[in-house]
Amino acid sequence: MEKSYILNDLNNVLAVKKLRMKDVKAVGKMVIVGILIIVIIIAGVAGYYLMAPQTKLKETLIMGTTDSVETCLDPARAYDFFGWEIIQSLGCSLVEYKAGATGTAEDLIPSLATSWTVSDDGLQWTFNLRQGVKYDDGTEFTADDVKYTFDRGIGIADEDGAFVGIGYGDIIQSVTVVSTYVVRFDLKIPFAAFLSLMACQASYIVDPTYAPKSGDSWSVADVVVYKDGDARGSHPMGLGPYKLKSWSRVAGKDTEMTLEANSLYWNAAAGYPKTKTIKITFYADAAGLALAITAGDIDVAFRQLAATDITNMKSNTNLKVWEGTGAFIQYLCMQQKNAPFNNVKAREAVAAAINRSMLVETVFQGQAQKLYSMIPIGMFGHTDAFQSIGDPNYTRTKELLSELGYNENNKFSFTLWYETSGHYPQSPQQALVLKSALEASGVISVTLEGRDWAAYKVKRSEETMEAYIYGWYPDYIDPDDYIYPFVQSSGGSWLHHNYASAQMDQLIAWARGNTTQATRTDLYGQIQDLMVTDVPIIPMYQSSAYAVSKLNVKGVYLDITQQWRNWLVYVEE
Amino acid sequence: MTLRTYIISRILLTIPMIFILLTTVFLVMRVLPGDPVMLHFEKMENPEAMALMRTRLGLDKPLLFQYFDYVIGLFRGDLGLSMQDYSPVAQQIFSAFPATLELAICSMIIAVLIGIFLGVESSKAYNRPKDQLIRVFGIVTYAIPVFFLGMILQMIFGVGLHWLPVGGRIYPAMEPTGLSIPLSLPPGGFITHFLLSSLAGLFLLGVYFAVAKVKHKKLSRKDYIISLALFVTGWLLWAGIGWYCISNGGIRVATGLFTIDSLLEGNLYKFGLTLKYLFLPSLTLGLVLCGIFIRITRSNMLETLRLDFVTAAKARGLKESTVTYGYALRNAFLPVLTMMGLQFAMLLAGAVLTETTFSWPGLGRYLIDRINFRDYTAIQGTVVVFGILVSIVSLAIDLLYAYLDPRIRL
Repeated sequence: MEKSYILNDLNNVLAVKKLRMKDVKAVGKMVIVGILIIVIIIAGVAGYYLMAPQTKLKETLIMGTTDSVETCLDPARAYDFFGWEIIQSLGCSLVEYKAGATGTAEDLIPSLATSWTVSDDGLQWTFNLRQGVKYDDGTEFTADDVKYTFDRGIGIADEDGAFVGIGYGDIIQSVTVVSTYVVRFDLKIPFAAFLSLMACQASYIVDPTYAPKSGDSWSVADVVVYKDGDARGSHPMGLGPYKLKSWSRVAGKDTEMTLEANSLYWNAAAGYPKTKTIKITFYADAAGLALAITAGDIDVAFRQLAATDITNMKSNTNLKVWEGTGAFIQYLCMQQKNAPFNNVKAREAVAAAINRSMLVETVFQGQAQKLYSMIPIGMFGHTDAFQSIGDPNYTRTKELLSELGYNENNKFSFTLWYETSGHYPQSPQQALVLKSALEASGVISVTLEGRDWAAYKVKRSEETMEAYIYGWYPDYIDPDDYIYPFVQSSGGSWLHHNYASAQMDQLIAWARGNTTQATRTDLYGQIQDLMVTDVPIIPMYQSSAYAVSKLNVKGVYLDITQQWRNWLVYVEE
Repeated sequence: MTLRTYIISRILLTIPMIFILLTTVFLVMRVLPGDPVMLHFEKMENPEAMALMRTRLGLDKPLLFQYFDYVIGLFRGDLGLSMQDYSPVAQQIFSAFPATLELAICSMIIAVLIGIFLGVESSKAYNRPKDQLIRVFGIVTYAIPVFFLGMILQMIFGVGLHWLPVGGRIYPAMEPTGLSIPLSLPPGGFITHFLLSSLAGLFLLGVYFAVAKVKHKKLSRKDYIISLALFVTGWLLWAGIGWYCISNGGIRVATGLFTIDSLLEGNLYKFGLTLKYLFLPSLTLGLVLCGIFIRITRSNMLETLRLDFVTAAKARGLKESTVTYGYALRNAFLPVLTMMGLQFAMLLAGAVLTETTFSWPGLGRYLIDRINFRDYTAIQGTVVVFGILVSIVSLAIDLLYAYLDPRIRL
């Protein structure tokens, strides 16, 4: 018995010893593994710094945006802000707006065309082209390319594109090559804003080599679309200050884009573009973009930053906030097909009760301007016409509504609609502010209804919204683009507010067809006066444009054209 | 039931599941007010152009036709064309998938590591302040909205400390290219190529010899025959790849997972950069998911730690960490594994928000974009892919379960 006990004990002791040996071994292993991990980390960090590329910051500018090319970079289809911004960097048009433009004819400066003439009836435009201009592949630019571009755009007639949207086919009759360097446009209607139209990005000249015609006639299959891994083949341009060096899209959204200076650009000798390489980073939302510029990840942030972020950045000493006139406007539409807004008194009563200062100050923190006309501030022809109605003038509202039988006890009530998916800046807040301003009159009661953008557009076409907030970005910089699409009986049909006036149509036709600036200014004055009488639509505010950059970024121009001129921006050492 | 019938029946069950999902999404999207055609006409409306567009998108057909067209396409593996930009949906999903996968894997790893570690620690400190603290932490992270947590982390690490970027997947134009084998050989290249091919063959042969030697001590005739076959295979393989490379000017092996691609490329700078961009989104998603792992690990560990074998192991003088992590955790791990499978669906849902917060170009962001645009085909495609993913993952977890726990045999 005793012996076995002793044996057991001995075994136990041995087991313990073995265990300890194991422990020692385990510790040794741990040390080795630990050392290995440390070595790997050190080697990794060393490698990270050794392999970091040496970049010259001065030659590269990093831009951040929440935008993305919507469909493609072909002017025959592209019809979105960012797509047009890039087209403008990659291509060239006959004329362009100088930086700081206000939209007058004097702001249009020669680009591919050196001079131009217009016939007395305004139906024939002849352009003399710049000679010796080359595409980025070395072929020469001639009048044939101009004809090709417009025949192509009108021929393809892509439903998504500006050629259909603006209606190039309804304006241009034909394009004729007069000689190698002279081209003539024959118009169907006298169109005063024709030069502005030539400066818009849909009119940018394409390179026939990269925009071939596949069949006998043009079709949507000829539109140049994004090709993964082939940046040059993904756009048909080639005359602009930049070349598209790389472009990646993931799931239909841009993830990366690099622009590189085009040495064959016609104005390269004058030192344009100023920055050799522009890299563009894309952020999902305004919050992400604001964080990126604050954290210093990017040099410039352009579109879209929230008003509160811009206010914060204004007090940030490491950042510069660039401010400019915006061409984006918002307005209130009223359904004039049936009661109550088929009565001009009801419309005017609402117009008189709108408090623009409140809207601009509370919703946009002063980063927008009060707008008293559909023609934006900073553009020729603008008058503060709607100011005569009041801002707000509750006495007038009460007076007008009492004529319709409404008073404090029997309030005029209607539903105000707004969109909720961020298509327009801060729509829900706008609606709330409008509601409180209108109800402050004491005789109006407003019910708010929100829908996401897709549903909102359907509601608009169904004509079931009594009053609704809408917005507009210009296509070409001319008062015509702010009048014709809203109050002309057929031009405004897309808005479904059912306003039609023969007198208005006549005035618009005159203003469209006249090429004398003074006459046009006078006509637009009359149009705006008529709008105050009829109140077909109520202008509310005009956005200001903002870009935020690091302190060493120079050459940012934000004017009424809303163009982002990549070739003028540079980083100072 | 054998394992094979189990797998087959599970796969077959997936098909009706996907169809129910697809039909629901198909109907819900069309009931939802909104019209993709109208959204193509930002400003002016042109009725003729709109009608043309409707035909082009196939929306002029009756609903039932549209549905069957889509289903038939699905059987051919065709997810249709996007209603926003007319490019193939399958291609768009394929391009966004690696980003989501990378985010999902990393955040799952982070969630499980944090969850298990804190769960074990909390069970060891049962009802002591440490335990309470960890439990509160678990509840808070579980309850916190993912975008809010993301923004807090962005504020701290991006804006405040400038350590990490606040969004995006990688620095512009720095995308890792993966492994590139440039084999466009110079003149006389065919001799080099021949030699290289032979080397590849010899390499395979050598490996086999070494293995066989260790295993059998003595080589049999069979071994020699196999090694000869291996040599020939290796030679042909290399020659084949080489021929492909020469005719195509190189070969590229890329997974789309930037962590792996940068390592394949051998560029540590890009690897570091990838991790930098990946860290915050995965941490956000990982933290939000880790709460549930903490809870489940803790409750299972509490049960396991009470079992006799744990007492026995402790009594034998085994180290505390060996007992908890080596023995007890192994037993408590199975429910965690099940939870991983269940959480995968949740992970995809979380990815939708995380991807937007961090501008991560993955499927979640794609889905949000396309819902706003009423891009029916893209939404249907993404949902189908999500459905397939969730069922594959849960099947894989079930199989792993059987492998890890010998007591369970299907």
